Amino acid sequence: MRCLLLGAAAAALLLTACRAPAVRSTAPAASMSVEQLAAAVAEDARRSDTESDAKIRERLAADAGREAQACLERAPQAAACLYYHAIALGLEARAHPLRAGEALKSMLDALAGAEAADAGIDEAGPARVKALVLIKAPAWPLGPGDADAGLASARAAVSLKPQYPPNVLALAEALAKIGDTRGAREAYGRARELCQALPPSRDRDDWLRQAEQALGRLTAPSH
Amino acid sequence: MSAAVATLVFCAPGYPGGAGDAQPYVDQFAKAASSSGWSGTLAAVYDPTEQGGLAKLNDKDSVLAFVPYAFFVQHGAALHLAPLAQADVVGVGTEERWTLVGKAGGSVTDAKSLSGYTILSVAGYAPEFVKHSALAAWTLPSDVKIEATGQILSALRRVASGEPVVALLDQTQAASLATLPFAAQLKSLVQSPPLPVALIAVVDSRVPAARAKTVQTALIKLNAAAGGADTLASLRLKGFVLPQLPGNTGKP
Repeated sequence: MRCLLLGAAAAALLLTACRAPAVRSTAPAASMSVEQLAAAVAEDARRSDTESDAKIRERLAADAGREAQACLERAPQAAACLYYHAIALGLEARAHPLRAGEALKSMLDALAGAEAADAGIDEAGPARVKALVLIKAPAWPLGPGDADAGLASARAAVSLKPQYPPNVLALAEALAKIGDTRGAREAYGRARELCQALPPSRDRDDWLRQAEQALGRLTAPSH
Repeated sequence: MSAAVATLVFCAPGYPGGAGDAQPYVDQFAKAASSSGWSGTLAAVYDPTEQGGLAKLNDKDSVLAFVPYAFFVQHGAALHLAPLAQADVVGVGTEERWTLVGKAGGSVTDAKSLSGYTILSVAGYAPEFVKHSALAAWTLPSDVKIEATGQILSALRRVASGEPVVALLDQTQAASLATLPFAAQLKSLVQSPPLPVALIAVVDSRVPAARAKTVQTALIKLNAAAGGADTLASLRLKGFVLPQLPGNTGKP
C-alpha cells in the first residue's frame, strides 16, 4: 500500500545531524557573512527538530531556505553554503511531505557538492547527513532511500571523524536498517562510550539518550 | 462496544512510514471518512508492522481496517474482515499486477526451476498471497522460501548478483525497474492478474450493517466531498470504489 505515508516517511527525517552553533541570526540581512548565514540555518534546523507545530516548522523551513540561498549567492562554491543549503532542503522536505521527493533528491545533490568541497565540515557532516537521508527516506522507487548506500556513507563519516558520536550513531542506525543487529548494538555501545567521555552538554545528553534508547530496543525481547 | 472509542486501523507492513509520522494523516482521513453517518468519534491508528497491526485489529475497539490486499488475503479470514471499499491509488489505480523478477540469463525459467530459491518481497509477510494470488499461475516447489523485505533495492541487487533469490515486485516497483543501473541484469519471469491494491474492511462484524453501508457510501463519495480530495491526496489516494475481489469473495 504505497499510497500510505510517503510524505510521512519523509517527514521522519531527522535533521539534528548538523551541529547548531550558538550564534542565532533571524534574517538574511545583507550584512550577514557566510558563517552567520550557515549558523542561522543550523539554528533553524535545531529548532525545527524539537518543534511540534507544523506551521512553525514551515516558517523555519522558509527562513532556512532564504538564508541558504543568500549564503549561496555570496559564496556559491563554499562548502558551508552547499552543506547548509542541503540542510535547508531537508527542512523543506519535512515541512512539505508531499513535495519531499524532489527536495530530498536535491538535498543529496547538495550534500555531494559539499562533500566534494570539504568532506570534514561539521565533523564529516555531508557523509553523515547523506547516510541519514539514505537510511530514512522512502526507498526506491518511491524515494531516494537506499540502505546499502546509506551504510557506505555512514562508514565514510566514521572513517573521517571516528570520535564524533553522531557519526557512530548514524553507522549504528545504518547497520540496524540492513538487519545487522549485532553490528548495530556494537556501534550504539561505541557511541555511548564516546558520549560518556565528553563533558556535559545538551548535545552530549541527546546523543547519549539516543544510544541508550536504541540499545534498549535492540536488547529487548521480540514479541 | 461504544462508538466513542471505535478505531480505524491502518496497517501496511513493509511500506514506509512510522506510526508517529503517520498519525496526522490517518487522523484526518478518519475524520473525513466518518463525517457522514457516524455517531461518536472514529479514531485512527497506524501500525507499520504485521504483528503490531494484528494486535491492534484484535482489539475489540478496532472496527475498521485499511490494509493492503496481501494483508487481507493472509489474515482476512482469521480476523473476519469484510471489504467495504477498494482504494484507488494515485499512479496505480484500483488494481495492480505483481511481477516476479529473476536474473537475466539465470537458471529460473519456470516454477520448477525455483527449487531452492528464496522469494523476497514487500509482501513476503503474506505467503498465502504470494503463493495463491500473486504467483497463482505457478505451483511453487515445496522448498521455496518466502521472506519479507522492506529493502527491495537490496533484494534486486542480490538477484542481479546471481544469489539464489528472486524478487516479487508490486506494480510501482516493476514499472520502475528500467531506472535501475543494473536493469539489464534482471528479467521478468511471470506476472499476476490484476489484484486489488488495498481495502477498507469491517472487522469481525463490529460495525452494524446499516452503519457499514453508510460508511461505504461516504467513502465512495469522499473524493467529491468538501476537502475530501485533499485528505485523500495526503495518503496518495484518489478515492474508493466498491470492492471487486478476485472470485468476488468477501462481499460486505
